Amino acid sequence: MKTSGFRIFFMTGAWMVLAFLLLPILVVIPVSLTDTSYIGLPKEGLSLQHYAAYFQDPRWMAATWTSIWIGVVVAVCATALGTAFAIGCWFLSDRASTVARWILITPILVPPVVQSLGFYRFWVTLGLIDTNTGVILAHTLLALPYVSISVFAALANLDRRIPQAARSLGASVWQTVRAVVLPAAMPGMVTGGIFAFIVSFDEIVGVLFITVRNVSTLPKKIWEGIQEDIDPTIASVATMLVMLTLVVTAITIWRGRANA
Amino acid sequence: MTDFNDTTDHEAKADLIEIAAYKYKEGLLTRRGFLSAMAALGVLPALGSKAMAQAKEIIVVNWGGRASEVLQEVLCDTYTAETGIPVIVDGSGPSGGKIRAMVESGAVVWDLCDSGMGTALILTEQGIIQPIDYSIVDKDKVLPAAVYEYAVGNYVYSYVLAANPKMLGGNVPQTWEDVWNTKDFPGMRTFRKSVRGMLESATMAQGVPMAEVYDALGTDDGIKAAIDKFRQLRENIIVWGSGSSSQNLFLQEEVAIGNIWSTRAHLLKDQMDEGSFTASFDGGVLAPGVWVVPKGNPAGTEEVMKFIAHGQDPKLQVQWLEMIGSGPVNPQAAELVPAELQKWNPSSPENLATQIFYNDEWYAKNQVAAEEMYIDALIN
Amino acid sequence: MPRLADKYRYWFLVLPALVIMIVFYIWPLLGIWQISLTEPKAGIENYTRMFDSSAVTTSFILTFRIAILTTIGCLILGYIVAYVISNFARRAKPLMIALVLLPFWVSVLIRSFSWIVLLGRSGIVNDSLIGAGLIDSPLRLMHNEFGVVLAMIHVMLPFAVLPLMANMRGISGAYVDAARGLGASEFTAFRKVYFPQTMPGVMSGALLVFVLSLGFYITPALLGGGRVLMISEYITYQIQEFLNWGLGSALSVALLVATAIVILIAARFVNLRSALLERGS
Repeated sequence: MKTSGFRIFFMTGAWMVLAFLLLPILVVIPVSLTDTSYIGLPKEGLSLQHYAAYFQDPRWMAATWTSIWIGVVVAVCATALGTAFAIGCWFLSDRASTVARWILITPILVPPVVQSLGFYRFWVTLGLIDTNTGVILAHTLLALPYVSISVFAALANLDRRIPQAARSLGASVWQTVRAVVLPAAMPGMVTGGIFAFIVSFDEIVGVLFITVRNVSTLPKKIWEGIQEDIDPTIASVATMLVMLTLVVTAITIWRGRANA
Repeated sequence: MTDFNDTTDHEAKADLIEIAAYKYKEGLLTRRGFLSAMAALGVLPALGSKAMAQAKEIIVVNWGGRASEVLQEVLCDTYTAETGIPVIVDGSGPSGGKIRAMVESGAVVWDLCDSGMGTALILTEQGIIQPIDYSIVDKDKVLPAAVYEYAVGNYVYSYVLAANPKMLGGNVPQTWEDVWNTKDFPGMRTFRKSVRGMLESATMAQGVPMAEVYDALGTDDGIKAAIDKFRQLRENIIVWGSGSSSQNLFLQEEVAIGNIWSTRAHLLKDQMDEGSFTASFDGGVLAPGVWVVPKGNPAGTEEVMKFIAHGQDPKLQVQWLEMIGSGPVNPQAAELVPAELQKWNPSSPENLATQIFYNDEWYAKNQVAAEEMYIDALIN
Repeated sequence: MPRLADKYRYWFLVLPALVIMIVFYIWPLLGIWQISLTEPKAGIENYTRMFDSSAVTTSFILTFRIAILTTIGCLILGYIVAYVISNFARRAKPLMIALVLLPFWVSVLIRSFSWIVLLGRSGIVNDSLIGAGLIDSPLRLMHNEFGVVLAMIHVMLPFAVLPLMANMRGISGAYVDAARGLGASEFTAFRKVYFPQTMPGVMSGALLVFVLSLGFYITPALLGGGRVLMISEYITYQIQEFLNWGLGSALSVALLVATAIVILIAARFVNLRSALLERGS
């Protein structure tokens, strides 16, 4: 097939848009290696001083650690709750369960500042302000929609007759769920769990509202850094996170290729 | 910077706070039946297993950055050396909202907060803060304009005219009129994201003499006129929301001119290259920073008052000025200021003469309406 | 149909998540209404103040304008990418999809930070343009609507591409081939035959981007320079600077209602179920 102008236009356009998506993210890499104490490209040589600054600052380390463990706890809680929810709804598949599914995805649609306001006032009455528990609870709520959506999507491939067959052969509801439904839901649980972790790991607006000083997460530290003194340490943190993402993405592509 | 001991303290404290919060809320939680909900979430055991402990220490909160380190070093560590009571600075920013949240939730973890008069007035009205005990704190060691029933001056700062001559071709704006003159002084300006200290400069830019600024602003027309000045200038304005952001705007050369805090100007004069930063107290607005004590603070009223009194020592206040540019609120300190810093001291007799005092009454009466008009002028 | 006793058991699975969501999310959200009607004193004063304030009106107009610009930008750019991925890309397809998804995994905060680094007065873009001799003095790229919209398009683009791709996946090439066979040019075939079939994807992408943009906070707050004051930032401003919970809550309610209205209007054009509820991941 000969290459038409139409096709050239779209192909160039698409690659330009993809470059627009990627390049701004990569800009943090050279900045993180700057030898200056302010944000900018390296002047005379590359330096790892801003990485050192990150690893040597106990506040950055503590914030990173907090974000990681809270993210893991949130992923576990949200996956457990969300999977049970999605499986229940899948079995029911009636009007009421559809309403329930709509209720569960509201956090996707409500503006972050508005929901944080709600959290804040309620957390004050519960005494959860500025506690890890408060953050975990808020993040679990925000992550639930993603888990339930992905588990439900995974269950779409499960033939309804299989659990029915299991039941008619005498298996209890719980046996059926464990032996038949859970394995089918597994890919969705994994995706949902990863989503939940990332939702928590990146969440900032809620944390700004419901924490004061005890709890400091990585995004909060970055936020304060940008507001306070924009120094290249933020770029080094950003670079490490971006590199991690790139590596994971590359592995995914590579595995996708291998499978295909 | 922060060493490891410091962090340990923080963590110990954090732990205690969690316990306090839990203890306090226990009854409430049970009554409302939320315990079971918490248990269902699997978070309850983590809260319940901790033991109660006692600690006598004072938590002082300010706005972070270098100021926190200086506060720790100058006031807190010296107090600890004298009395043995640990004093810890928390730089997380005691905004009025956060103080209120803390007091309302009953889990107060802050003893003393570095606040501003605007916030202090609101907090007083809402019954969030405690009265100052002037039998312990000495009234005579504070500029009379900074003595209040529920708040007491801790240092003073000014809203000053700052500029980067290098970006202006060597030209330096001398007056607020110059700041509004975009022809001779092209470039971006920065003003605060609030009318505080800003409307005054816009009023002076109209040629109103310093002493009559608040009279002029006392009428609706006066406020409108000041707001209109911002409307004229708005294409050249970037707004600063925090002291550090104003500092950043100069450091990143985003702005050439600004109305910023003298404390930030003090830092910028050392951070910026030679000849690329100036600040003038001429036509400045002098405002006291104040200590406020949240109701139900953990260390108790008396302990905190003693600490405030400790901070009134003129020698310490001069050190504070040397390190971050906060002007001494104690009039006796002025003569102890080294000669080369006189010009950067907001409360030196010379600088006091060219500035006006921030007028709280005006703000209590007009701020809310003015803020609304100000935002409208900037974004509309 | 499940047996009745089974049904209870299934609800037992559904309820924990549902109850937690209602108690700890929906309930506090409703609490905002209450605050807006009771603080500082009972009545609708906050709402009358809000509707009388020209700053609030301006901020709402600004919010909608930015959301619309972002949506249009995302749709145009997103369409091109989705179209190429669905129709032209062969070997590069996984790479292209990965590049679309990549920004999803990098936090909004970091992406906004990148834009600050790029667009500042002495940022990388200005420095390189000056270095290349293309401009004499730095351009104003940030602290204005341009910077905010640019960065927001960057953040929202994946939300437009994914629904479009999902939609295009279901479009058979046979119609376009038929049109081509009947003598239509490639462009005409695209415009008359292919494009109309993608409208559902365009609509659900538009809905998603628009709704998310309406409530956006981080990017405008960091790149707006205080003058691109979207409603979300206005709310935090009221609460943090003035402790004005009443007005802040009233604004929140207004934003929530505005969002709901947009979704309800969209429901006429978009299959909400497939756009939101059954979004593949």
